[in-house]
Amino acid sequence: MEKIRVKLCCGTLCYVMGGAELQSLPDRLSENLKTQVAFSSSTCLDYCNKYPTENPPFVDINGEYIAEATPNKVIAKINQLIENK
Amino acid sequence: MIKNDIFIEVAHKQVQKHGNKICGDMFLSRKIKEERRTIVILSDGLGSGIKANVLASMTASMGLNLTTANASIERTAKIIMKTLPKDKHRKISYSTFTILDINSRRETRLIEFGNPMACLIRGETLIWPSRVSIGVDHQLPSSQQIYYAEFTPQKEDRILLLTDGITQSGIGREDMPFGWGQNNAANYIAQWIAGNSSASAVETADQLVEKAKENDENTPQDDISCGVIYFRQPRKMLVCSGPPYRKTNDKVLASRVNQFNGTKVICGGTTAQIVGRELNRSIEVDMESGSNGLPPSSKMEGVHLISEGILTIGRVAEILEKQHINELEKSPAGKIVEALLHHDEIFFLNGTKVNEAHQDPSLPVELEIRRNVIKKITRLLEENHLKKVHTELI
Repeated sequence: MEKIRVKLCCGTLCYVMGGAELQSLPDRLSENLKTQVAFSSSTCLDYCNKYPTENPPFVDINGEYIAEATPNKVIAKINQLIENK
Repeated sequence: MIKNDIFIEVAHKQVQKHGNKICGDMFLSRKIKEERRTIVILSDGLGSGIKANVLASMTASMGLNLTTANASIERTAKIIMKTLPKDKHRKISYSTFTILDINSRRETRLIEFGNPMACLIRGETLIWPSRVSIGVDHQLPSSQQIYYAEFTPQKEDRILLLTDGITQSGIGREDMPFGWGQNNAANYIAQWIAGNSSASAVETADQLVEKAKENDENTPQDDISCGVIYFRQPRKMLVCSGPPYRKTNDKVLASRVNQFNGTKVICGGTTAQIVGRELNRSIEVDMESGSNGLPPSSKMEGVHLISEGILTIGRVAEILEKQHINELEKSPAGKIVEALLHHDEIFFLNGTKVNEAHQDPSLPVELEIRRNVIKKITRLLEENHLKKVHTELI
């Protein structure tokens, strides 16, 4: 089964706007979810320049962005994608 | 301190006599940038403790300032010897000294008074520069004469300066009844260098002082000091931070990184992506490496370290601002500082494109303009750490 790809932005803006908290996201997933998600990071996703009306931090999930991302928001999105499979 | 293609690394290590709180030896060095000249002085105040420290400090600062002002050797020696009081009973002056004055062509003048002889270590060979006694006071015994020597060190040579705390360490021991001795100490370190050919001046001085301490069973019987001057290939480091102002210069930035012969560091995610894109190299974020409130670092083939930009270089400046850097934090900024201190010549390639997203006044932190922070780092590296720094804007 193909894993859900979650990419965290480690750029300055995302980091100071809450991205620091997202770094611990992999540890906060349940064992079940962990097996279904592939985490990676980017030095900068450049979404802050691409979507200037949206606010950082940004997370990319399967190619779609989440603005003002929080761990709960990302986990909810992961759960939704799993349900829709 | 870059002379032609040779960097002069100056370092020293000192340990005070057991039971004392302060060392009675003084080591000072100065780089005169305009003249590309290096002056080093090691002084040993008679006795130990505060009195010795004050006398050694007086001698060292007089020696350093008079040499800087190009006073003649005779005049320098006379002023120091006349200023320093003589011991009432022993009729000897209170401080010994060794002065090294190295010019831009590495021509070295050595002036010695009372300290163990300075020597040159070339490979495994010890060279004792031939000295002449200069007639300051012919009534004095030979140990109280001033000696002068001239020589020109070559690349990879090291000059060793010692105080008698090293040569007399271990005194009274069965295997060294008169102490370790000048030859034995110099031979020991020459042998050690043979097995550690790239050892820095810091490591060399540390090795010799630790061995002398060991001779005294870790309770030094006198103040122990060692100065090492190492003539070596400069270690070069490139720090790229910020995207170029014009996109057309992206290729220039990437090729500079690619062609640089030395250690390479990139500070800034976007900058790293530009380099990665132009050189067709992938970037891998090391998710475990972020700490102390800084984002994690990344890796790219051919680049020593990639870090986030402004927060990290801001922290680098903060760390460098501390006068004494003992234990570096394990963050990407700590790693960059470690690399900066390990290198002699640092090139900053500073992209001047301003990240508009950083200008939002509602941001919870102040994100300073990159070039101001680099300017501050440059000043700190030049003034506090005697590094040669070049900055180029792109």
